[in-house]
Amino acid sequence: MPQAATEQPYNRPDRRHDRKPFLSRLMKQLDVQLMVWPSIIIIFVFAYIPMYGVLTAFMDYNLFTGARIFDNPWVGFKHFAAFFDAPDFGTILRNTIVISLLKFVIGFPAPILLALMLNEVRHMLFKRFVQTITYLPHFMSWVIVGGVVMSLLSTENGSINIMLQKTGAIDESINFLSIKDYFWTILVSTNVWKEIGFSSIVYLAAIAGVDQHMYEAADIDGASKFKQIYLITVPSIMPVIIIFMILAAGNLLNAGFEDILILAQNPLLRPVSDVIDTYVYRVGLQNQKYSYAVAVGLFKAIISIGLLTLANYLARRSGNSLW
Amino acid sequence: MKKLKKPNVWILATVVALTTALAGCSGNSNGEGGSTKPSPTNTAKAGEKDNAGESEDAPWVFGSEPLEFTAYTHYGWQDFPEKMEDVPLWKYLKENKQLNIKSIQAKGNHAQLMSTMMASGDLPELIYGDRYNPDIERLIDNGKIVALDPYLDKYPNLKKWLDPQLMDLLRSKDGKLYKFPNWYTNKSTNTAGYVVNKKIYNELDQPPLQTMDDLYAYLGKVKEKYGDEVVPFEPDRTVDGQGIGVLYTGFAEGNNYKSLSSDVQGVIKDNKLTSLFMDPSFRESQKFVSKLYREKLISQDMFTQDRGKVLEKLMTGRVAVYAGSGPTTYASQAHNELIKTDPEAGYFMIKPIHKAGLDQSNIHPGGYDRLGWNITTITTKAKDPEKIFAFLDWLTGPEGMTIQFFGPEGGNWKGFDENEQPIFTDQYDPAQVTEIQALNDRVMIVGNTSYIDPAKMKYENAKPPEEQNWSARYQSTITWPSANDITALNNKLNPEPDSELGDIRQKILDLITQVLAESATASSDEKVDQILDKAQADAESYGYNKLLEWRTEQWLENKKTLGME
Repeated sequence: MPQAATEQPYNRPDRRHDRKPFLSRLMKQLDVQLMVWPSIIIIFVFAYIPMYGVLTAFMDYNLFTGARIFDNPWVGFKHFAAFFDAPDFGTILRNTIVISLLKFVIGFPAPILLALMLNEVRHMLFKRFVQTITYLPHFMSWVIVGGVVMSLLSTENGSINIMLQKTGAIDESINFLSIKDYFWTILVSTNVWKEIGFSSIVYLAAIAGVDQHMYEAADIDGASKFKQIYLITVPSIMPVIIIFMILAAGNLLNAGFEDILILAQNPLLRPVSDVIDTYVYRVGLQNQKYSYAVAVGLFKAIISIGLLTLANYLARRSGNSLW
Repeated sequence: MKKLKKPNVWILATVVALTTALAGCSGNSNGEGGSTKPSPTNTAKAGEKDNAGESEDAPWVFGSEPLEFTAYTHYGWQDFPEKMEDVPLWKYLKENKQLNIKSIQAKGNHAQLMSTMMASGDLPELIYGDRYNPDIERLIDNGKIVALDPYLDKYPNLKKWLDPQLMDLLRSKDGKLYKFPNWYTNKSTNTAGYVVNKKIYNELDQPPLQTMDDLYAYLGKVKEKYGDEVVPFEPDRTVDGQGIGVLYTGFAEGNNYKSLSSDVQGVIKDNKLTSLFMDPSFRESQKFVSKLYREKLISQDMFTQDRGKVLEKLMTGRVAVYAGSGPTTYASQAHNELIKTDPEAGYFMIKPIHKAGLDQSNIHPGGYDRLGWNITTITTKAKDPEKIFAFLDWLTGPEGMTIQFFGPEGGNWKGFDENEQPIFTDQYDPAQVTEIQALNDRVMIVGNTSYIDPAKMKYENAKPPEEQNWSARYQSTITWPSANDITALNNKLNPEPDSELGDIRQKILDLITQVLAESATASSDEKVDQILDKAQADAESYGYNKLLEWRTEQWLENKKTLGME
């Protein structure tokens, strides 16, 4: 937690009294510095240096020029205009926003709820069992998860259809993966199912750090379990929740790629499933229209930065912001 | 929080310092790149000069000197073998012909690897891939592929076996030949058609299966008798057309399966390509499919399933009728599996189903392209392109083809007869031959179908039909004869992906993919018409007519090249 971390002497050198030269201060914190530098270098090499490549969004990039991108002709906003004029632009933008919002609104609180629920489980063996079961799907690739979901939902011999038919809930098999109205539900629930356990680990850790004395005091004051959760646990882990919320906001336009590509095999679903990333893949990369793909990606990144800044601004008012 | 600000300044400072340092580095490497870049073209030019000098000399004899080059398969699902010893053909070449091929492997990531190789200029010497793969086209346009024309007269085999008109069709825009075709032929190679489950057919008293009405009645009977246990009509993975496309060919004489594909996206009418959405037979066919869908007579998962699911259904005998663009592979596998436990089970193929009143001989569930399948190219990176060509030419000739299919001389065959066909020995071992062919499959890059098919059939035809290989039997009796020649329709009909026509093609492709699914699963016949009317309006707004006009020109041009006018 940020508060705990800031108590560390390394992060808070009292500079008015500590005027030692830079090198000696660096030596003093060498262990910590050694941990930080590799990541900074990696981020630099793989995230910052290639960044000049976004310039190709404003060019007609020819692959054979390789890294000498300035040999390509500048074309201004041609590729952006082409994207905005694409017949599916409206649908794609809507799907991207709706799917990512749904994933955020449902997928973000779900692991918190799970962590709160698990925290109340007193049977240790059962708690460990549930935890293990829920975070296992995180380690499976989308191809596998998608395959499982597709065979569960298939019309011919799909377990869900068989179950619904045996219990008499439906008479005829439902073609779940071909009906537009169901797609968002299937996509979001599959995502929640896959990630809920793993995401809840960090909240469980935060909950474990809450001072137990507060619960004892609340018990004496006669607070119910729900009141304790509401008044002690949630406020105590709020900083963690907010930080993760800001990070999630930065990811808002990442409506998903592999999951949609795999679950929305039926072209019928395209009006509800086509998002910016699948569109870039299909139209940009598969046809080697790199400049176009970069332009669309850049457009997405700009909106994401905007959303991140907004989220951070809102969070700052509550006193827990990234910057 | 405030206290954190000062270290931030430090981080910022180091970040800035690093940026400048690293930017310096990248600047340097760019500079170097710039200065070294011209050298490959220099060497290429030097290479060309060498070739020009050499071409006056005698042809190089493959195997007379050591030859080494790098080779790359531009597919995600297949690579060249890692070591020469991994496949019989390459092992033989290493031991007997002083050849060493260094394989560059994509390991499933071919698109990315190719982009990297293009951008860095570090290309392999030989590339094997699809005939009109956009990457390979781009390499040709950017002068990275060696033209084969100077060698054609010097080396005998390609010139002898490839029809000169087909060679002209394969030439690129500048009139030069860059591609060495694989599986070029002079006859049908089609495998599209209908497969019927023998056991179910017998249990339902073998009703006629000739017209669409017969098919509909039969599927109804299957549904009635077997319920949910059997899929009456299995159209394979219909996102790619498959069974739906095969049915479409049965609704008018001369319909092409290719009309649905992204390479054509149109219907031939009065020597012109016209809109697929307005084709009455397409509408009729989609109404038929949607009727099957509504009445649960066709796989309900046809647009979502993967091919593994299709194979599983076939292997367990849960399919009554199966149709697709290449059903023989799965059907023969399933047939061989099913007859293990029940000799009366299994599958057989039937002649194309058609709408009542049409002439069956004009119904073509599939077509064949005489240029075969894919191609091999030699890049300007090649140290000695002529020697690589000499190798390819040897490989496509009688000796090379026979060794690929039947192993080295002295085993299954010895010597050639007066038609240059191998003479099989008494030790001929069919199991070993099958194994050699299966193992060599991924290094058969310049297949000469015109030569090898008669050789293969020479052995197969000697047996009674029941004992023949399942695929071989139905290919020679059903799928090959029912196909039409679509060579003119199957070449050069794709515009460059980043041109205006390329954009239209992509939009129409998205539209057709979606409309095919929507109309195939429509809730009524009127809905089918509505969906297709709307599709036509959308297509026109995307510039469909422009694309059709361009493709008509290309197609007529191809016909002229092939002398088919």
